[in-house]
Amino acid sequence: MRAATTGSGAATTGSGAAGKAADTPVGTPAATGVGGRAGRLLGAAFAALVGLFLMAPVLVTIASSLTTTSYVTFPPKGLTLHWYAELLNRPEFLDSFLISIGVAAGAAVVSTALGLAAGLAIHRYPFPGKSVLDRLFSSAFAVPTIVLGIGLLQWYAQLGMASSPLTLLLAHLVLTVPYTVRLVLAGLAGLDRSAELAAAGLGATAPRVFWHVTLPAVRGPMVAGAFFALITSFDDLTIALFVVTTDMQTLPVRIFNYLQYNYDPTVTAVGTVMVFFAAVVVVVIERIVGVAHLFGADPER
Amino acid sequence: MAATARVARGPALTPEGSAPAPPATGPVRRRGPWRTGLLLASPAIAVLALLFVAPLFMLVYNSFRTQAGAPTLDNYTRFLGDSFYRGVLWHTLWIGALTTLGCLVVGYPFAVYLRGRSPRARNYLSLVLLSPLLISMVTRAYGWLVLLGPKGPVADAFHAVGLDAPKMLYNDTAVVVGMVHVMLAYMVLPLMGSLDRIDPALTPAAKGLGAGGWTCFWRITVPLSLPGMLAGSLIVFSLTVSSFVTPAILGGPTVKLMPYFVYTEATSNLNWPYAAAIGFVLIVVTTVLTAGYARLLRGRGGKEVFA
Repeated sequence: MRAATTGSGAATTGSGAAGKAADTPVGTPAATGVGGRAGRLLGAAFAALVGLFLMAPVLVTIASSLTTTSYVTFPPKGLTLHWYAELLNRPEFLDSFLISIGVAAGAAVVSTALGLAAGLAIHRYPFPGKSVLDRLFSSAFAVPTIVLGIGLLQWYAQLGMASSPLTLLLAHLVLTVPYTVRLVLAGLAGLDRSAELAAAGLGATAPRVFWHVTLPAVRGPMVAGAFFALITSFDDLTIALFVVTTDMQTLPVRIFNYLQYNYDPTVTAVGTVMVFFAAVVVVVIERIVGVAHLFGADPER
Repeated sequence: MAATARVARGPALTPEGSAPAPPATGPVRRRGPWRTGLLLASPAIAVLALLFVAPLFMLVYNSFRTQAGAPTLDNYTRFLGDSFYRGVLWHTLWIGALTTLGCLVVGYPFAVYLRGRSPRARNYLSLVLLSPLLISMVTRAYGWLVLLGPKGPVADAFHAVGLDAPKMLYNDTAVVVGMVHVMLAYMVLPLMGSLDRIDPALTPAAKGLGAGGWTCFWRITVPLSLPGMLAGSLIVFSLTVSSFVTPAILGGPTVKLMPYFVYTEATSNLNWPYAAAIGFVLIVVTTVLTAGYARLLRGRGGKEVFA
C-alpha cells in the first residue's frame, strides 16, 4: 500500500523534474537534473519521502526500545532504559553476541587476507584457471544464500563436520571473500605501476616495494573490506539458520527464534544495539572508500 | 551481489601455452609469475571450491536422489506435478515482479533527482539508500512489523485522514514493501551509473532544435538509461525471489514462497533431496527468466542503446 502511494507520487515528480530541466539555460547544473523552483521543491519533497521510507524501520526500532510498556509500541509510551538493563539479565543474548562477534571477527581477518592474496594474483599474475576464478567470484555474488545454506548443510553432513563456530566462519567466507577481492582489485587498479617500478629502480628490495608502495594503495580497501566482512557475518541469518544448532546460536538466529514466541521491547533493545554496531562500521567504511563502492557503483565516484 | 554488472571484470586470461606475460613487478617475480599467482590465489580457490562449488554440486546431486540415496527424478516430478507447488512458484515470481516494478517506480525518479545534486548531497543520500543493506535483516523486518501493524503509525495515518486502514501485514503488500525497502539500492545504483553516462549536452541540443521537456525526457533520458534499468531489474528480481528472511517474517502464514519451502523441507521435514530440488528449480527458473528478459530488452529497440 505504502509503496504504491509513494510510487505514483514518484512518477509525477520525475516527469515534472525533467520537464522543468529543459527550460533552464544550457550549462547550468540544472540542465542535467531538476530545475525551476517548483520542480526543485517537488524533487526535494520526494527525496525526503524516500529517505523516510528507507530509515523508518530503524527509527521505529530505536524509538520503541525506549517504551515503558511491556509490549512493543510506536510511538513509545514514556521513556526508559529498562529494556537495556533487562538485557543484562539475559545471558543467552550475551552468549549469542559473543559467538556472533567471534565468528565475525574471524571471518573479517581471514577474508581480508584471502582477498589481498587473490586480488594480487588476479591483478598481476597469469595463472591457469584465472578466468574461471574470476567468473566464480562473480557468480558467488549471485547465488541465493538460501540455496547455498542448504547446499552447505548437506555438504558438511557428507563430510561429517559437526556444527561449530569454525564451520559457520568457513561458510561466511563465501559471502565475504568476493567483496574483499573486489575491493583489493579496485585499490590495485588505482595504483600507478610506475611508482613500483621507480622504487625498484632506485634499489628497493621486493619486500620493501610491497610494503611501502603496493600495500599503502590497498590498505584503505582492505580495512573497508574487513569491516564489511565483519558486518556481513555478524548480521547473517540465512546461512546461519542451516549451519548452527540449538546449542550454538548466533545473535540473529537467537532473535529470530525468540521472536517466534515473544515480541517484547527486549528484542528492540537488542536490535538497537545491532544498529549502532552497524552504524559504526558504516562510518568507518564510508570514511575510507565510500559505501557505494561495495555494491558495484562506478569506481570513479 | 551485483553480478550482472560485474561479470566481465579483469583482463582476459593469458593463453597458457603462449609465452609468459611480461614479468610482473611483484615481490617474487624471478620465481615465475605463473607459480606465484597460483600460490597467492590458492587459498581463495580452496574456499570457492570446497565451500561454494562442492556444496552446490552436492545439492544438485542430492536433488536427483531419494532420501535413501537411490537415483530418481521423483523430487522434480513431485514438484512440477503438484499444482500447489506450481502455485508457490508463480507466487514467488509474482512477488519478484512486483518488487522489481516497485523499485523501478520509486528508484527511477530518485536516481534522476540524485543526478542533479552536488557530490556531497549525493554521498549522504547514497548512504541513506544503502543503510537498509547494512542493517540486520531481522531488525529491519521487525521494524516493518511495527510500522505496518494494525496499531502502527501507517494505520494511524490512515485513521487521521478518516479512512479505514487496509490490512497491511502478513500479505503480499507487506512482503513487497519490505523487499522494495531492501532492494531499492540495487536498482538506483546502476540507474545512477547509466544516467551519469548520458552526454549532458544532449538535452539542451534537443531543446535548441525545438523539442519540449517531455519529449527530451522520453526520447533521450529514458532510452539512454535503459541499460541501468535492465541491470537493476535483473539484480532486484533474482535477489527477491531467493530471499527468505523478509518474506518469512512479513508474509506470515499466508505468503509462503519458494525459499520458505527450501527451509522447512530441510529443517522441519528433514527431506534434504526435496529441499535441494526446490532450490535447484528456483535457480534454474530465475536464470532462464533473467536471461530471457535481458535478451528481449536487448533485441527490441535496444540496439542503438546497447551498441
